[in-house]
Amino acid sequence: MNSDRPANRSDVLRPKNVGAPIRRTEDPRLLTGSGEYTADRMPDRPLHLAFLRSGQPHAKITRIDTTAASEAAGVVAVLTAEEIVDDFKPVIPFSRMANYYATPILPLASGKVRYVGEAIAAIVATSRYLAEDALELIEVDYEPLKPIARAELAVAEDAPLLHEEAGTNVLIAREFKKGDVGKDMAAAAVRVGGRFEMTRKAPLAMEPRSYTAEYEKRRDALTLYTSSNIPGIIRDAISESLSLPGHRLRVVAPDVGGSFGSKGSLYPEELLICIAARRLRRSIKWTADRLEDISSSSQAFSEIVDAEMGFDANGTATTLQADVIGDVGAFSIYPWTCGLEPVQVVSFLPGPYKIQSYRGAVRGVATCKPPTGPYRGVGRPVSTFVCERLMDMGAKALGIDPLEIRRRNLVRAEEFPYRIASGIIWDKTGFIECLDAAAEAAGYVQLRKHQAHARESGRLFGIGIASYAELTGIGSRIAVAPGMPINTGSETAKITIDSTGAITAAFGVASHGQGLETTLGQIIADDLGARFEDIRVVQGDSDEVPMSTGTYASRSAVLGGGAAKHASAILQAKLRRVASHLLEASTEDLEVTDGKVAVLGTDRSVTFKQIAKAVYSDMKTLPVDAREELTATYTYDPINGTTAAATHIAAVEIDPATCFVKIHKFVVAEDCGRIINPMIVDGQVHGGVAQGIGAALFEELIYDDDGQLLSASLVDYVIPSAPEVPLMDVVHVESESAVAGGFRGMGEGGTIGAPAAIANAIADALSPFDIDVSILPMTPERIFRLIQNAKLKAKEKS
Amino acid sequence: MKPAKFDYIAPSTVDLAIEALVASNGEGKVLAGGQSLLPLLNFRMARPSILVDLNRIEGLSYIEDREDRIAIGALTRHRDLEHSPLVAARLPVMSAAMRHVAHLAIRNRGTIGGSLSHADPAAELPMLAMFYDASIAVRGPKGLRTIAAEDFFVDALTNCLEPDEIVVEVEFPVLDHDGWAFEEVARRFGDFALASIALSVRRTETKLEGARIAVMGVADTPLRLREAEQELVALPLDAQLPERFSEIVASKVSPNDDLHASGEYRTHLLKQLSKRALRTALEAGERTA
Repeated sequence: MNSDRPANRSDVLRPKNVGAPIRRTEDPRLLTGSGEYTADRMPDRPLHLAFLRSGQPHAKITRIDTTAASEAAGVVAVLTAEEIVDDFKPVIPFSRMANYYATPILPLASGKVRYVGEAIAAIVATSRYLAEDALELIEVDYEPLKPIARAELAVAEDAPLLHEEAGTNVLIAREFKKGDVGKDMAAAAVRVGGRFEMTRKAPLAMEPRSYTAEYEKRRDALTLYTSSNIPGIIRDAISESLSLPGHRLRVVAPDVGGSFGSKGSLYPEELLICIAARRLRRSIKWTADRLEDISSSSQAFSEIVDAEMGFDANGTATTLQADVIGDVGAFSIYPWTCGLEPVQVVSFLPGPYKIQSYRGAVRGVATCKPPTGPYRGVGRPVSTFVCERLMDMGAKALGIDPLEIRRRNLVRAEEFPYRIASGIIWDKTGFIECLDAAAEAAGYVQLRKHQAHARESGRLFGIGIASYAELTGIGSRIAVAPGMPINTGSETAKITIDSTGAITAAFGVASHGQGLETTLGQIIADDLGARFEDIRVVQGDSDEVPMSTGTYASRSAVLGGGAAKHASAILQAKLRRVASHLLEASTEDLEVTDGKVAVLGTDRSVTFKQIAKAVYSDMKTLPVDAREELTATYTYDPINGTTAAATHIAAVEIDPATCFVKIHKFVVAEDCGRIINPMIVDGQVHGGVAQGIGAALFEELIYDDDGQLLSASLVDYVIPSAPEVPLMDVVHVESESAVAGGFRGMGEGGTIGAPAAIANAIADALSPFDIDVSILPMTPERIFRLIQNAKLKAKEKS
Repeated sequence: MKPAKFDYIAPSTVDLAIEALVASNGEGKVLAGGQSLLPLLNFRMARPSILVDLNRIEGLSYIEDREDRIAIGALTRHRDLEHSPLVAARLPVMSAAMRHVAHLAIRNRGTIGGSLSHADPAAELPMLAMFYDASIAVRGPKGLRTIAAEDFFVDALTNCLEPDEIVVEVEFPVLDHDGWAFEEVARRFGDFALASIALSVRRTETKLEGARIAVMGVADTPLRLREAEQELVALPLDAQLPERFSEIVASKVSPNDDLHASGEYRTHLLKQLSKRALRTALEAGERTA
């Protein structure tokens, strides 16, 4: 199934497409309004769904009366948990992890509600307007229970329980240990620590979640169009839940307008729409409005980390310990579980550093909020924020430059593969190279001089560095989420040349903005020897490949790209064999390029179209056994996957009058292995950093002590807009990885490095006040408070 | 997020619009630019029985020079004010403020009549109406009446209009000043103000003779700070003036805490902006004085 070999430049004879800044083939349709998103589907006379959502954070449902709603104009059906109980099996986000309780995924709240925004009932009507009118006619009686809004309080012995069956609000607990932390801390020359927090955040894709279930009467079959980035997983889960075999359940992710993780889990609404379509034998549409998307899509971060790092006198970080409380919300998610985000915080906390002893404990705690789930960077934005803050605090305490202390602690070229204290293995990656490249691009030495000068005139100017490493494109040996039973380690490519000579390449990966149609096409063009413009890439359709999980965890360039390379090679061998008949030449003397097979050193050639004719349409030219179908399928598994790394450097200035942060300079030096399309890589970095700026300075979902969401609109949930995102310098350190093609995943790095770099820059800017940054986002309000408190303290001292 | 059911009418005259509002028994709502009303409808926070759309009425969009006053028709779009040479020449504080009004798409649709009627405490036009002592002409079933800006804004998102009255025109006096400034801080450019001040001064070389101050984002309505105006004029024109002025302004407001900022931070911002604004106004005044 798999044959991995170290990549080298000779892998592709003459790459013309890989490495070229080819314009995205997706863009003409997406930019001219010709894309097809889920909401654009127009099935025959569709019905529309609307959900009644809980306004209560935690309450028993004592009565639901749907009589009046059922009689309202345009209403076809009103569904409640009771009504649909026989239509599905609950989906269980199973995991082999110890100390984990899997809360089942139910389409509608049953018996009680656990967060504001949880769906209680669904109305199916002839229009969304009428459906929403009828929502107001449903009567629900609640018996309010004590809300559980703060994870730190929910772990108390006498705290009310969100899931009584679990017997605790701690849905997941885990500890990582290596060496003797106690001894090493005692021996440390310097210990630094604190309580760090990244608040709750919304992934906020531009397209809200959207589902269209198209019912096919003649064979009781469903096609679910979904704005998902895991259509294959959704197909398998709904197939199981609804007892509907795969050939009667097709799941398609058409054009998808972003996810950032929020469309990477199975949702109750996704289950419900299929249940309703099957029950009513009608096609049904639903698109979340912005309020629903913010208040019911999976959310990010919400972790509090008590951490301490010990250094020896030379600035070598020797030991690290952390206790993490993750506020995972009301439910575990499918398939990743509620452990995904908080457990990764502790497993990645030692970062790219050679810290010898480590203890990292994590608890994922249930609260009355929507579930947290995957969010671009998963766990690593928080782990990097904490680790990089500690690194800077250590540097300050020891009087070592922040750049130098990282140089002393990063894993060096000769030390790979390196197993860090939490057990993760980094393969050969340019850690130091990224650090040096970023420092050079930022003009670090000059920047420090500039800072000294600015400080003399009282300006609050700061420089922040963040280095990180992440696992990308991971294969079957490592589970994407701890203890998860589904295979996330492989992807399939199926490349076919049909009787017209057209090339169609089908994948299970599901681009939702990554430009995979372009990059996978580039790989195939080079490795098959085709013209880029002749290749159609099909993806995100469960009917195209037998099994797939989709696009997440920076995997698709590595796994999809690896599958594309192998399938291309198999198909090219077939082309050569046919061409050798047609050209009467040995296969070794043939060259495949630009959609033609030519005899080396001659002008004799046949086009793919001529080869296809000979194979499929011509009964004479080829012997029967030489008429091989021009198709190749390959399922690629990189087994371990590969590391990606970067260093971000930010230079910021704080206006003491407004407490606003201005980013003067932002540099990213990243190693994503061999670059397939530099324009797309740059775009990924720019977008990721923009989101990281959101996490660092702006974005925050604020829930009050009763579990009510206060920042539920884009007026109150503030995201960076174009003026808040600075120009960036992106430097590529292209060290090839060991997987097919030498690629590394790179879709998430921007959001991992930026918050930490900006946090460090702000702390550096505020160092005249002796202020430490321990919570993000650093809003003007928070900076104002920190400065006020520091001034007060200074006054008290004097 | 779909509005509840409503009727819709797009009359061709103000009289017909008023007739429709009267017929709705207080349940109707006027639609001008729709930039604030439509979200309220979609959230079902507003549930009018009928929307009376003013956009088909001719003659409600104009900027007219009336010598000591500039008259602006109620349906005049923010964008027209932003780009009007007449506004730039005669109402410079308004001209400077208009670019802070939301974003381009919103400025293309939003109207002055709509913005004043919506009475958002952190919106620029209500504050400018207070600053300039604008008079707001409204028409209802009993005919035309004129309301002073200071009487118009009652509370956050609340004006003094009867349900069947429509703003038709706003008159802004042209001010006699030697220097002026407009300062605003918002989280992002175009967001609602966290704090803002509009200021103008009349001065001689040695002292101030008059001042005009309005602020917003720090109370339930925009505020004209008349006491602060008098206190400012009474102070000596020296290097300490901006600092002392900022203390005066801060002492006149007590904003509440909300999601976007604490009252203390808003007060701090207003102080900083006051300092900046007075310096700017005095510098400009120095050149002309």
